[in-house]
Amino acid sequence: MRAALYGLLLAVTANTYAGERQISLDWLKIVAFAAHQTDYSGVFVYQYDNRVETSRITHVIEADGEYERLESLDGPKREIIRHHGQVWCYINRKMTQVDSQQMHSRFPALLPEQISTLSENYQAREAGTERVAGYNAQVFLFKPNDNLRYVHKIWAHTDSGLLLKVAVLDTNNQVVEQYIFTQLQIGGNIDRSWIGAKKPPQRDAGSPTPVEPVKSGTLTDSAWVVGALPPGFKKTMEIQRAMRGKHAPVTQIVFSDGLSAISIFVEPDDGDEDDVEGLSSRGAVNLYHKVLDKHLITVVGEVPPRTVIQVLDSVRYNGK
Amino acid sequence: MKQEISALMDGELFEDEAENLLGRIKRDSDAHGDWEIYHLIGDVLRQPEHVHCDLSAKVRKRMQDEPIVLAPHGRAVKQKMRTVALSAAASLAAVGVVAWMSLQIGHETVPQMAMKQPVLRPASAQIRPKANDYLMAHHEFSPRIIDMSGGASYIHTIAYTNNEK
Repeated sequence: MRAALYGLLLAVTANTYAGERQISLDWLKIVAFAAHQTDYSGVFVYQYDNRVETSRITHVIEADGEYERLESLDGPKREIIRHHGQVWCYINRKMTQVDSQQMHSRFPALLPEQISTLSENYQAREAGTERVAGYNAQVFLFKPNDNLRYVHKIWAHTDSGLLLKVAVLDTNNQVVEQYIFTQLQIGGNIDRSWIGAKKPPQRDAGSPTPVEPVKSGTLTDSAWVVGALPPGFKKTMEIQRAMRGKHAPVTQIVFSDGLSAISIFVEPDDGDEDDVEGLSSRGAVNLYHKVLDKHLITVVGEVPPRTVIQVLDSVRYNGK
Repeated sequence: MKQEISALMDGELFEDEAENLLGRIKRDSDAHGDWEIYHLIGDVLRQPEHVHCDLSAKVRKRMQDEPIVLAPHGRAVKQKMRTVALSAAASLAAVGVVAWMSLQIGHETVPQMAMKQPVLRPASAQIRPKANDYLMAHHEFSPRIIDMSGGASYIHTIAYTNNEK
């Protein structure tokens, strides 16, 4: 895998004069590989809605695959360890395990078809080099071809391709959310003592409470359709799943344009007053609820508010 | 600085930049001079028949010329004070009218932007903890190109889901 990464790096160097767009997309492959093929440990800041959260992330490759540990450094102590689609949470001194089969499918992060979708929907260009967390970074800008999605800007470590900074901007070039490494160690001697400690401690062994609702669902094809998706969003998944606090299974339909995704959830309306119609957001993620034909429809996506509204307003049932 | 002032007058600055710049203009007399000259130029270009040359300085000077009342309370003095207050109010009103006029004339872009803003980012609430389940379900299938953000939103969402339990 290392060899593959270097191979790609070489390909990029050789391709330097082949045209801007192609370079950026090759770079994206490197970025996607680097996230999984590099040992690193660092502190990053997540800034959204005038808030800031700091976390430490450690990522190492062992013989049996990748291990990733995320710790919150402010607020209540939260820790998450991810390995092979399994997730352990260590929250308020209590260890719980999360089942998630879908997470297996996350590697490789960037599939060839995603790259082609991406180049259809965004103008990718290099935007110079900058320094982030003490490293030189190549900056890439992904400008959408319409105003129904956000601008994405990424800073990738010039040597390894590791992402050092990610910003999501709106059409006014205002930052909607961003992730920035403030301190980062790439390679070298990284603490691995936590890897063996992922199993639940003895005292909690009696009653492990699984963290819902990350449960695998069954593939389905309901008759719910969306009339006004932004161009380039393609259906990637449709499942029926159980969700916490919901009696009936919820249908989830996912569309993606390569960089961001829109999920549509359909469930019978149980008249819960909390699920009032309306828009809410966290950083780049916008969520819109609406009751339609006795069904509660929820649209979630890393797209501007107007897009989730447009998508929801065009949802209709195409069956009998 | 001059370019920024010009951008501010054209309504091209973001709110926080504009506030910052206005603060600097207040402190820096040179910048304040530029600010006034630019407005004067704008006024002359648009409406040559109504030129307000350094009105604010004149108002300030007139205000300084107004007597300061140090005498103890008394009916006559009260009367006088009211007059002072009224004249001050009148001056302020005049400034207000000028300011309003220049807004009407010089900042066509301002109302436009104000109208555009809500469309771009409608007033939306924070996602409530109850809706976190949708977010987690969504994150599972989001493209994982930018894995760093995936991890961060994941810890955020999962942590809040559990805190709320």
